Amino acid sequence: MAQLDIVDVGHAYAPGVEEERWALKPLKLTFESGKTYALVGPSGCGKTTLLNILSGLVTPSRGRVLFDGADVTALPTKARNIAQVFQFPVIYKSMTVYENLAFPLRCRRWDRARIDAKVQQVAEALDLHDRLGQPARRLTADDKQLISLGRGLVRDDVAAVLMDEPLTVIDPQLKHSLRRKIREITEQFRPTVIYVTHDQYEAMSFAQEVLVMKDGRAVQQGTPEQLFEAPSSTYVGYFIGSPAMNYLTVDRNDGPFTLGGRTLSVAWDIPHSATEVHVGVRPEYVKVVTDPGPNTFPGRLRGISDHGAQRVLEVEVAGQLVRAKTPREEGVPAGEEILVHLPRAKVLPYADGQLVLRS
Amino acid sequence: MDGLRRHKSMFLLPGLLTLFLIIIFPLLFTIRVSFSGWNVSNPRMNFIGGANYAAMLHDGRFWASITRLILLAGGTVVIQYVIGFGMALLVWREVRGRRFWRVLFLVPMMTTPVVMAAIWQTIFHESLGPVNDLLGTLGLSRIPWLTESGPALAALMIVEVWQWTPFMFLLLLAGLLSLPKEPFMAAAIDGAGTWRTFWKVTFPLMAPVSVAATIIRLIEASKLSDSVYVLTSGGPGSSTETPGYYLYIQGLRDQQTGYSGAMSLTYLVLMIVTLTGVAALLTRAFKLKGDS
Repeated sequence: MAQLDIVDVGHAYAPGVEEERWALKPLKLTFESGKTYALVGPSGCGKTTLLNILSGLVTPSRGRVLFDGADVTALPTKARNIAQVFQFPVIYKSMTVYENLAFPLRCRRWDRARIDAKVQQVAEALDLHDRLGQPARRLTADDKQLISLGRGLVRDDVAAVLMDEPLTVIDPQLKHSLRRKIREITEQFRPTVIYVTHDQYEAMSFAQEVLVMKDGRAVQQGTPEQLFEAPSSTYVGYFIGSPAMNYLTVDRNDGPFTLGGRTLSVAWDIPHSATEVHVGVRPEYVKVVTDPGPNTFPGRLRGISDHGAQRVLEVEVAGQLVRAKTPREEGVPAGEEILVHLPRAKVLPYADGQLVLRS
Repeated sequence: MDGLRRHKSMFLLPGLLTLFLIIIFPLLFTIRVSFSGWNVSNPRMNFIGGANYAAMLHDGRFWASITRLILLAGGTVVIQYVIGFGMALLVWREVRGRRFWRVLFLVPMMTTPVVMAAIWQTIFHESLGPVNDLLGTLGLSRIPWLTESGPALAALMIVEVWQWTPFMFLLLLAGLLSLPKEPFMAAAIDGAGTWRTFWKVTFPLMAPVSVAATIIRLIEASKLSDSVYVLTSGGPGSSTETPGYYLYIQGLRDQQTGYSGAMSLTYLVLMIVTLTGVAALLTRAFKLKGDS
């Protein structure tokens, strides 16, 4: 396992393009040894480019890539000792499951006994041990993806395991079990894992740290909890969470913030500024209440959507839409006119689309 | 519905009719002719039973030509495959002047076989040809290219390889260009070198294309006769005769119509059986069935 640093790394696929249009704008990141990271963002945000720069499949237009402090920017993929799982399962069709798993070790000229022990260990962990003799091409897509993963895990000296949306082609029912398996495996083998996905659930449930990207930039890096509790920008608030964070335009005339003429207290006070201020609150924290009180606003129920164990209520408050996520057992409020409570500690101030930090 | 169906058959009719006239009728006619004693002095559709087939069984010249064809077709196709694959690999990735090389490699295929064989005849000419001239300059003895059986066979093979390797090259290059990138990326990540990547990734991925290209070439090669006609006329003696050329001599030159009908049917059946067998063997060898 190694610590991966990227220093001022940026990349443009077409030469001579101005920096604003690079696929990956110059950025500095550190991936600590033995931790799992998720890169999330919409398609075309530079996730895969970043991953391919780490694995050496793409040479960055600028900057340096360091593995444990050693500069590997100019090294080819083969010399970087990295494992990568692609979006589509990649297996060697002419080989058996066993030969597939042993391939990286045979390339490294390990002796037979050592290869066998390692392959058995990894196959056991991946539940492939009873199919080692089968031709790999006969397996199902998710088992093939396990083989791709296994080829990364058999090398215990691997610097990092990179996964590029490995669950995209997997059936929804199997996705869940495969995700759990990948998690168990990474907990067992403790490699440095960088996991690319556009699925926020996958990112949040899988990684210790999540990096949100947009237009070739890293927008926020933090634990899943940090991203959920304190999105650094309205973009992250929209991207992480389902449904997205509520953002409301509020008024302020010298005194406190007001929403529809009523006072709204926010988590912390922010200095006055000329720019428009929004407040953000997660739907999970919006409560439907029966009694009036501080930070409680009258609203009109506009719609209800079912999210399995939860319901999402769409409430119009002072002409703006607020979503509230409530447990199913709480039932649906009777009547259209309801009261919603926005807990003060969870109401965060945003100016110019950025979270205003506590001063 | 029936009316519509009849309309559809009307559209198929011209094609079916052509097919019948150029394939089914000649085939049926050949079958009938093969049981007749039709020859230059007796051009009649009489019935002589299996006499032509019995004579064919004892015709050493015919069987020798079949054996020779297997050697020629098998040998040249293998050589074409190896050289063609090598050339395709050379211009597959980014190389300088890639387009130029790709077009240049295809030139022999576009040349008319007869013209090309005539040119090669000059090149291999024993006293005037540049090949022997070159051998002489290098201090080697001259080779009677077209007048001794061994060298004549070799010359024939060289011409075949020269003309048809480009076709193999074209099919294999198309195959290489259509391969997915991921297995190569995976092989690089797993640490495979050039040699291992070729044998474990490129070659297995190319199996379907390889089998198809080989079979197409074998079918073509089994009809070998035009270059034989121009280059050696089957000689010296009958040492470079192929079934196609021998049939030409018997059927069209000597007008042994009934007898050559029997031989051409036998030749057809043998080729169908052999090529089907080879195709099945190749498919199994490359484990193509049940692939996803």
